[in-house]
Formats: sequence, structure tokens, C-alpha cells
Amino acid sequence: MAHADAARRELERELGSDEVLADPLALRLYARDASMVEGSAALVAFPRSPTDVVACVRAAARHGLSVVPRGSGTGLAGASTPIGDALVVVTAKMNRILEVRTEDRLAWVEPGVFNLDLSVALVPTGFTYAPDPSSQQVSSIGGNVNTNAGGPHCLAYGVTSAHVLAMDVVLQDGETIRVGAEGPEAPGYDLRGVVVGSEGTLGIVTAACVRLVPLPPAVRTMLLDFDTVEECAGTVSDIIARGVVPAALEMMDQGIVRAAERFAHAGYPVDAAAILIVEIDGTPGAVEAQQAEVVAAARAHAVRTVRVAADEAERALIWKGRKSAFGAVAQIAPHYHLHDCVVPRTKLVEVLAGVYAIANRHDLIVTNVFHAGDGNLHPLFSFDRNVPGTLERVLRASDEVVRLCVDAGGALSGEHGIGLEKRAFMPLVFSDDDLAAQACVRAAFDPEGRMNPQKVLPDGARCGDFAVARAGSADAADAAASLPEGTWI
Amino acid sequence: MDLKHPGGVADVAEVLRDASGSGTRVLIVGGRRHIDRGNACEVDAELWTTQLDRLESYSPAEMVAVVGAGMRIGDLQAALAGGGQEWPVDAPDDATVGGVIAAGVSSPRRLRVGHVRDTVLELSIVTGDGRQVRSGAQTVKNVTGYDLHRLATGSLGTLGCIVRVALKLRPLPKACATLVTEDGGLDVGGRLLEHVPLPAAVVATPNAAYVRLEGFPEEVREQIAAARSVSGGFEVHDEERFLSPAPASPIVAEAAVAPSRIPRIVEGRNRWAALLGVGLTWFGVDDEPALAALRRGVAEAGGVAPVIAGPGGLGDTPLPAPDVHRRLKDAFDPAGILAPGRFWGGL
Repeated sequence: MAHADAARRELERELGSDEVLADPLALRLYARDASMVEGSAALVAFPRSPTDVVACVRAAARHGLSVVPRGSGTGLAGASTPIGDALVVVTAKMNRILEVRTEDRLAWVEPGVFNLDLSVALVPTGFTYAPDPSSQQVSSIGGNVNTNAGGPHCLAYGVTSAHVLAMDVVLQDGETIRVGAEGPEAPGYDLRGVVVGSEGTLGIVTAACVRLVPLPPAVRTMLLDFDTVEECAGTVSDIIARGVVPAALEMMDQGIVRAAERFAHAGYPVDAAAILIVEIDGTPGAVEAQQAEVVAAARAHAVRTVRVAADEAERALIWKGRKSAFGAVAQIAPHYHLHDCVVPRTKLVEVLAGVYAIANRHDLIVTNVFHAGDGNLHPLFSFDRNVPGTLERVLRASDEVVRLCVDAGGALSGEHGIGLEKRAFMPLVFSDDDLAAQACVRAAFDPEGRMNPQKVLPDGARCGDFAVARAGSADAADAAASLPEGTWI
Repeated sequence: MDLKHPGGVADVAEVLRDASGSGTRVLIVGGRRHIDRGNACEVDAELWTTQLDRLESYSPAEMVAVVGAGMRIGDLQAALAGGGQEWPVDAPDDATVGGVIAAGVSSPRRLRVGHVRDTVLELSIVTGDGRQVRSGAQTVKNVTGYDLHRLATGSLGTLGCIVRVALKLRPLPKACATLVTEDGGLDVGGRLLEHVPLPAAVVATPNAAYVRLEGFPEEVREQIAAARSVSGGFEVHDEERFLSPAPASPIVAEAAVAPSRIPRIVEGRNRWAALLGVGLTWFGVDDEPALAALRRGVAEAGGVAPVIAGPGGLGDTPLPAPDVHRRLKDAFDPAGILAPGRFWGGL
């Protein structure tokens, strides 16, 4: 039996009454993240310190509430959507950069620090924090860590996991553990590695020690445009095959180019079928050598024009179009559903063709802007959910996109995570034993299942004797049918 | 000592299932190149992985290879070189892929190529009780469930037998060079780290420093010029291989501390090689009392110093979250047959 009122009184005493919300409007606001799934919250708390986080977790345990960690709420898979009697622990007010030690190439930050704020703060040091999700202006390091966030520059620099050295994590019983180390190796199993990307199901990160990398001496950004999507995607594979790993390799199709151009005025060629943004960095000599290879690959695929940013302002403008693309689609229709799946990059052309066919079949508008170098697709369906029947078509199309990517040898998510939206698909890519082993990892951290329950793993995945009652919903007609009770789209 | 040399994954599963049933303690063995890592442990049988040696798929355009865990590093690198690529680990040719991953051994070129754990995209293990479990995906990015492959990497064969992995590769550098100077150790090394753009490694020893450079030919020329601005007295070598610069000694310990603490832990010592900017320092020590003294100093600097060659094990640094560790071990090796005691915390 949950006692939200008692938990509220206790937390008001410990955190201060301003840091605890239980009014209907707040509960409604925090009943969802940036996904389409809505749930319900019993209580919302805003810790300002690790001690406050411990108080939250203990109060939740005492009063029978589950704990749902939340950063900026920009998650797209529903991992921060609360279900039932849940205490939402919002880390947004823990937003200090604690220390920057360039001599150790690391920085300690609180989880609520915005990704971009960290990069900006680091500029004078000559170092940077490499992961740069497109949401970086508003998404927090804590959220990035929990989704193992990517971003355009992960092609060359690696995803968030490669940039997190250590974390302080509050477990479900209020114990704080440090996983990883400031040094290059840590004793024990790599708990750090499983906490990264665990979507708030193993504990609450109260501080992260992130790795700093030197800013490259030279950077060059190029915009290439093509008459066909096929030639554009073919250029991606060709660049890699030539032994060049650009810092970023981003592709946008015509629909998204037009929307982004109207918004950002970046000078994108709106008549092209697709464009590539290629960024290369390194020493000046390395940049020249890579540029020659990139241009040769593009010419072999009938590139129309090669635009090289002449200065920092032009470079920023090219990126502005890309990074604001998801905002720009508001011009197309009032709602959108953004997908995230990864395929082998040599399958990009065939999967993209499949995505367009699915959209046609369901009479939906789809645009694509994605991390082509990583094979990380982001098909985006634009729609108006007030038109009866549209949402259902979007959900059916989404289901088909997931299966298309899995059939091409891909993964369910490249950087957004599984959360609620994709957990029913997990049996498509993992066996019963795989899922049971994953349930064991979760149970090792949280034996009582209090941290963000019902996320990531499908119903029926249990540790125990590894026996799993397979979640039959993987074959259900659409994802909506497989959401846990108490949540809805 | 019983010896098992399974020919396939199903055989590995059968061996471990039987061993769990009978309480037979098993040490998983690849190329024996990292066998000294971990605490001394008594076992009844060895399970050799070297027949699981197939390159199952390799696509240069994907920069991904799927290999059996018993494949020898030399064989793998030779196959990848055909596609102009490498798995950046710099382990001996007769080490195995699974052994390198289980031991968690990264390349000394880590400043440029990263930690070995970040190259393991997908991994299949057979657990102590013979279940086959896979995690990750054969794509360069993936957030799909819990990353068991992170736990297996560096687990010294105490959670399961790694049988198959998908590896993230990188292009072979088009040029490389190693610059060596006898001009001074830490001081020169520190300046190289500061002034040479994007080196693969900067190593300091008590009286020498060297820097490993690689990339495009133009890039390496620029790096050499930058290094010469630090010290005039470099000898340039252009060997392709860059192996661990650890000193030869009856016992070699690998200390891991935050990079700025290297000067503190090497003070007063005369057999070491430090990877600057990374924080690894290899120490040659003669005996266990000397090792214990070294470990005290490293612990005071906030680090650990497991032995990588010779006797001495991992050291007695307490595990963080021992309960979490114990539950993980129990879940993956319920009968406790996999190299009992070899891992940190006596797991």
C-alpha cells in the first residue's frame, strides 16, 4: 500500500516544501517525458544534493512508492514516464559543474548539467566533452548517461559510455556506490558500463566523472548534395571503405532539408534528394587528406555540389539546420513521432526505401535526418493526432519500421533507449535466456524492483532460474497494445 | 588436471553444464598470454577455447568483424589488414580475442584508439551453468537492454566463457612513427603530451620519453615537427608494431591512477614505464614485499596495481558494492565453478 501523503510530508521536511510537488497540475506535467506515452505520478521531488536523493529513495521505499528518475524529460522512449504509485525524482536542480581537471582529462558534474553548458564551459580549457546529442541545449548529462546518448560526433569519438569514467549512484536502498574510477581501470566488474544506458532502472546517478578530449587543432565541415538518396547513402559507405572515419557524417532527406531550411536559412539546397553533412577534424594535414578522400568518394557517387564551410560562422550555420531539424518539422504537422534504430550502414539504402514504402502504405508523411555513419536512422512521422485514425496509423507504421530494421540485422535503439515504447519488441532481438540474464543484472542492483519498474525489459523477463514467460506482445499488432496497465498514448 | 578442448559453442555449454553439476572448478584458457592476471586459484580442469577460432564475418564497409573467441590475434589482424583495418589492441599474435577481452587489456595506443571495452559491440558467453547468453548488437551504436558484454569484459573468466564477439574495427593508419629521446623522462613526456597534437601514446620512463604517432602521412609529419619543438634529440623509428612498453621483471604490476598522479607514484622508483595522459604505469618489482609497498603508494594516490606478469594477483582493494558483485557472480555462475577466487574481492 503506497502512502504518497506520508512520503510528501517526510520529503517536505527533508528537502524543503518548495522542492516537493503533489498538486494535480504538477502530477500531470510529470506524468510523461518527451515520448508519446503518458502515465501517472504520485509525487514529484527536486533534490538539490546527493543527500536529498538518498532521502527520496528511502522515503519511497518506506512508503511503498516506486522511484522514477528524470533529468530534463527529453527522453523519447518513455523511460521517465511514471507508472502507478511513483515518486518522480527530478535531478534538474543538481546542475553544478563540480570540478574540471584538465591535467587528469576529466570533469565531475552533477546530473542536471545541460550537455551544451558543459561543452561551453570547457571551451577555454582546450578540451571538450565529445557526446553531442541533438537535444544538447536542454538534455542533461544524467539523462545522457542513462540513455548512453549519441549525437553526430559519436562516429569518431564513440558514444557516451566511452566518455564516462565513473559515477556516484544511489541504489534502491539508499546506499551510494561509486562505479568506475578516475583512473583508467577500476577494480571489479564494469558496473559503470551497465549503469550507462540503464535508463534509470539500476539507481540514480548523483555525479558523473566524464572524460575530456582535446579539441582538435583543425575542423572542416562540408555539405554535399545528391540527386538520389541511393547515391547519398552510397557515399557514406564509400567514405568509410576509403579508411576515413569523419568526426560526423549526417544525412538529411529532401523533406527534412526543406523544413530545416525554412527554419534555419542555412543555404541548404532544397531541390536535392538528399544531403550529407561531413565534418572532419584532426591536424591541418589530416583534415586536408580526409577532405580529398571524402570528395573523391562523393564524386564517384555523382555529387552535385561540394560546399566547404569557409569560416566558423558558416560551419555553425550548416550545423544549425541539422540540429534544429526536429524543431523545424513543426511546420509540417502539429505532432511527430521520432524513431531511433540502427542498421548495418551498408543496409541504409534498402532500409530507407522500406521506410518510404511503409509511410506510403499508411498514408503518412515521413522525413529522415540521421547519423548515417553509424547506420543510426531516425525516421520521423509528422501527423495531426486530432484527425481520427491517424495515431493508429502512425503506431502501425512505427511497428513496421522496427521490424524492418531488425530484419536488416539492426538493433532496436541506437541512442534513445527502450523505455516503455520498445520493451515489447525486446524478444525480437533477444532469446529468453538473454532476457533472463538481463533481468539478473537488474535484480543484482535492485532486488526488490523499485527503481523505474516495467521499463526496458518486457513483461515476463525474470532472473530466477532464467526461465522466461515470453512476452507474447512482440507479435501484437501495435506497440500501444503492449503498454503496461496505467499508461496510454 | 583435466583438459577440455571443445570444438564448438554447444560443446562449451555441455562442458560447463557438466562441471556445474559435478562441482568441477574450471579455468578458461585462450592463448595463455594473460594467464597471470587475477588471483591464484585452484581448479580441477582447464577449458581451452582455441578451437573456436573462426572469422565468421568481416565487412570492411561496416568496420565490424564477428569472430570466435578462440581466434588468435595474429590471424585476425592478418585477415583485417586485407580490408585495410585493425582491431586496435596490440596483443601478442598468439593471444586470443576472448583472452584479450576477458583480461580487459587495452592497447598502449589508448589515447587515440580508446579502451578495449568500447570495441566490443556484441558478445556471447556460455554461463557457468551452461546457458548461452548474448548481448549488444552487430552495429556500432546500440542502446538495447543491459550491456552484459560490459560485465564480461575484464571479468577474467569468472562469469562465463566468452565464445563469440562482434568487434568494432578502425582503419589501419596510413603512416606511423615512434620518436625516442634519452633526454629525460616525465618532464619531456609531459611537454610532448602538451605540444604534440593527437598522439597515439606518450610514454615516459625514468630517463627516456617516447611518443607514438600515427595517421595520415601529412599528419605524422606535422606531429614529428611538433615533437621536435619539444626536444631536438629524437631518434625516429618507423616500426609498424607498438607493443606494451612494460619493463621486463619477475613481477610486473600495472598501476592505474588519475594521470596527474603518475609523478607521485613513480617517485623514488627506477623500473617503470608510464602512459601519460592515460594514467597507466607499469612497474617492475622483484618480490611480494616490494609489490605490497608499491600497492600502498598507489592506493594512497587513489588507484589500484594488479599484477599482469608473475605472482601477486590483483591486490586486496575492496570491491565497490560487494553485494551487487556477489549477486552478479551467483546469477552467472551459480555453482561457483569458474576460477573461484581469481577475481577482485575473492569472487
